[in-house]
Amino acid sequence: MEANNVNIVEQTQDPSKSPSGLRILWRELVRDKLALFSLILLTLIVVFVYGVSIILDQDEIVTVDLFAIHEAPSEDFILGTDYGGRDVFGQLIIGTRNSLTIGIAVTLISGIIGIAFGLVAGYFGGHTDNTMMRVLDFFQILPFTMLVIVFVSIVPDYTILAFSLIMAVFSWMGIARLIRSKALQEKELDYVQASKTLGTSNTKIIFREVMPNISSLIIVTMTLNLAANIGIESGLSFLGFGFPESTPSLGTLLSYATNPQTLEFRWWIWVPAAVLILVLMLAVRNVGEALRRATDSRQRRG
Amino acid sequence: MAILEVEDLKVYFPIKAGIFNRTVDHIKAVDSVSFSIEEGKTYGLVGESGSGKTTTGRGIIGLENITAGKILFDGVDITDKKSKTKDIRRDMQMIFQDPYSSLNPRKRVFDIIAEPLRNYESLSKLEEKKQVQELLQLVGLSPESILKYPHEFSGGQRQRIGIARAIALKPKLIIADEPVSALDVSVQAQVLNFMQDIQKELGLTYLFISHDLGIVKHMCDDIAIMYKGRYVEQGTKHDIFNNPQHIYTKRLVSAIPDINPRNREKQFRFRRDVQKEYDESYDDYFDDKGLAYGLQPISDTHLVALPERG
Amino acid sequence: MWKFIVRRLLITFPQIILLSVLIFLMAQAMPGDALTGVIDPNVSLEEKEELRERLGLNAPWHEKYADWVGGIVQGDFGQSFRFKMPVTELLEQRLMNSFWLSLMTLLFTYLMAIPLGIISGRYNDTLLDSSITGYTYLGFATPLFIFALVMLWVFGYQLGWFPTSGSVTPGLEPGSMEYVISKFNHLLLPALSMALIQTVSTVQYLRSEIVDTKQKEFVITARAKGASESRVYNKHIFRNSLLPIAAFFGYEISFLISGTIFVEKIFGYPGMGLLFLESILLRDYSVVNAVVLIFGVAAILGALLSDIILSIVDPRIRIK
Repeated sequence: MEANNVNIVEQTQDPSKSPSGLRILWRELVRDKLALFSLILLTLIVVFVYGVSIILDQDEIVTVDLFAIHEAPSEDFILGTDYGGRDVFGQLIIGTRNSLTIGIAVTLISGIIGIAFGLVAGYFGGHTDNTMMRVLDFFQILPFTMLVIVFVSIVPDYTILAFSLIMAVFSWMGIARLIRSKALQEKELDYVQASKTLGTSNTKIIFREVMPNISSLIIVTMTLNLAANIGIESGLSFLGFGFPESTPSLGTLLSYATNPQTLEFRWWIWVPAAVLILVLMLAVRNVGEALRRATDSRQRRG
Repeated sequence: MAILEVEDLKVYFPIKAGIFNRTVDHIKAVDSVSFSIEEGKTYGLVGESGSGKTTTGRGIIGLENITAGKILFDGVDITDKKSKTKDIRRDMQMIFQDPYSSLNPRKRVFDIIAEPLRNYESLSKLEEKKQVQELLQLVGLSPESILKYPHEFSGGQRQRIGIARAIALKPKLIIADEPVSALDVSVQAQVLNFMQDIQKELGLTYLFISHDLGIVKHMCDDIAIMYKGRYVEQGTKHDIFNNPQHIYTKRLVSAIPDINPRNREKQFRFRRDVQKEYDESYDDYFDDKGLAYGLQPISDTHLVALPERG
Repeated sequence: MWKFIVRRLLITFPQIILLSVLIFLMAQAMPGDALTGVIDPNVSLEEKEELRERLGLNAPWHEKYADWVGGIVQGDFGQSFRFKMPVTELLEQRLMNSFWLSLMTLLFTYLMAIPLGIISGRYNDTLLDSSITGYTYLGFATPLFIFALVMLWVFGYQLGWFPTSGSVTPGLEPGSMEYVISKFNHLLLPALSMALIQTVSTVQYLRSEIVDTKQKEFVITARAKGASESRVYNKHIFRNSLLPIAAFFGYEISFLISGTIFVEKIFGYPGMGLLFLESILLRDYSVVNAVVLIFGVAAILGALLSDIILSIVDPRIRIK
């Protein structure tokens, strides 16, 4: 009841704002304690990591120092050094930044592919949809991890962009499927039919009329995908098929733990990275789940 | 001159089955419908839900694929989807049944009404705004409301926005698909009268689709009754209401409520008689599949679906 | 139902063909060819060229593709140029190891998922349910490789309960009791690590299914008729919730595939996943292609199997 009143007050105060969509998402997010905490934590991590990495010199951190191999945490090195005498703490900061950046990049690229694919399939329906869904089925059944690894190892100029593209090419299917089924429902609504009779082109209807109406689904899915992509990237880097070692990621630090000695005795190299990956993934997921609840009115808490 | 001529229109929906999703049968949503509308008139299409009246309207404007038949608009053949060029679309608009889903909830009133203008006329921002405000005024809404969202309006107001959008390009023909059935009864008359006013003002032709004979009586010059995808009876308002020939039409007409309480007893008896006649003579008016027969002329304007004599 | 199965099969064949084309094209993009492995470096360029011609390596791509597929159908995946042996022989042992690992993982997955899901669903919103939900929440977000590392660290190194690498203790007589026990022992920790993560989605599914079914009319009716609580669960709820789960195992195969890559790497378990990683690093591409093809076909067939079982269990999905 109280929530309803708040709603009414807000509307009368600012009648030009739409209460649907983004505002509900935001309100729900703030009301969910865990999600709010996660959001604040995430913001702090992001600000800290991107802020500090401006000061840090990546080249200096990844330079091998043979006089400081495998040092335990000390005043010089807060989290000790790795087998090349490189500062683990510095790598952790830069690694987090790189992991986040690639996670976001992959989420955006795969999101764009998936959204466009899903919208087109759902909007046109019929044979177009049928054919496109068969293509999607095929992509979805491919052994993702293996193909990414193979592509990573055969691409000649291997850059961060290439890596993001390879990952995106094999991970757009989930969001495409969701968007497609939503678009199938949406296109039956009269506002879409109206736009057709008004002479608006299909492209315009898809991206200007339908897409804004499923923006909350897009935001939610992208957030949840971000969590997954951070995990996948660190996994691939862990196997040695993510970034090159000169560009540390959180997975790179974890890959040092494949050395039994490191795993058993030098926890400071890999445990912080493992914890950070977990914290990042959980926090992003908490935010995403809260957003998902917000889009489903039955599950709303506020 | 007839602005719209429909000849033998058929809209079938396939029923698919089997391993290869072959079409095994069809639902004949619209089955051989022909009519024409004179410029400036209102043509009413009446039927129960599922009778194909909405599909007819949507087929004409191109929202459904036409299986067979011919549609002439202003003398131009527009049967094929591709032939529904921008110019045709410009002259033929639609008012939708549900004023809630027919306005994009994410767009401001300004953008909603300006959508057709942006598609057809390259106006400057200022001209565009002026036009939208004029349109709003025309439909009786405050020009200041252009920055509001649809959910801030009542159902009647929303339908007016829909009408403003439909008349923005000054079309010749408007297909109104149950334009008031989603509205409160108190608002219905308001919107209907307004539609009539605007018709006079802009010289519009309406194809008015409704299930409510009372409203059709109020609005239309010519009326057709549809049942299971076929025409049952077609004629002028006078023909249909004062001289219904088909038993189905009679039943519909007898069902129009009369608000005078003194007539209650008479009305009741009348309905009972019609029902009795309907039950007794059902086989005379419908074929073995329960469909209406082909139309037979009984006067210049009046056509009734009857079995061929002889 | 038969229609659905036939239609589903008709989709499967193009999928397999497309997969093989994709892998073939990948193979073409990889540096080196079959000769790189066979021939010693002293052979002159002309002789190599002649050999290439004779072996059909200069043929147009569609002929090469037909050749390659023809070989595979007869079980010939070509030569591994690092191990100097036919890929098929190399695969045999690894395939068995991965098979046992996958089987064990599936077994653990269901052994854990079913009781946890049922408890969580039946006593929902109790303390017990909350702790299970808490576990699934963490498990859903934890990447498998981190979890496996922690398991290895804790149970392998700190507690020393399990072997930390390999598939069997060296020096044991194959076929002996000790050999089998040792194999089993080596399997336990990797399989458990995978299962503990993999089981999460099934537990979540089962829980929400049961919670939903509990409120359905037919269950309420059964209760109203005076059926005992256990009868309600055995007769009405499980039949509706458990059967679909049995069908999911085919879909789990794609998870198992990516899982084996990580788990085998972490536990040094010599299966297909590890072979794949080694071959990639050694640029032994004939092996890489064989592994990708086998795993890909396994995933396709797994999905096919699950779809068919599901269509038998749940008539609703047949409609599409």
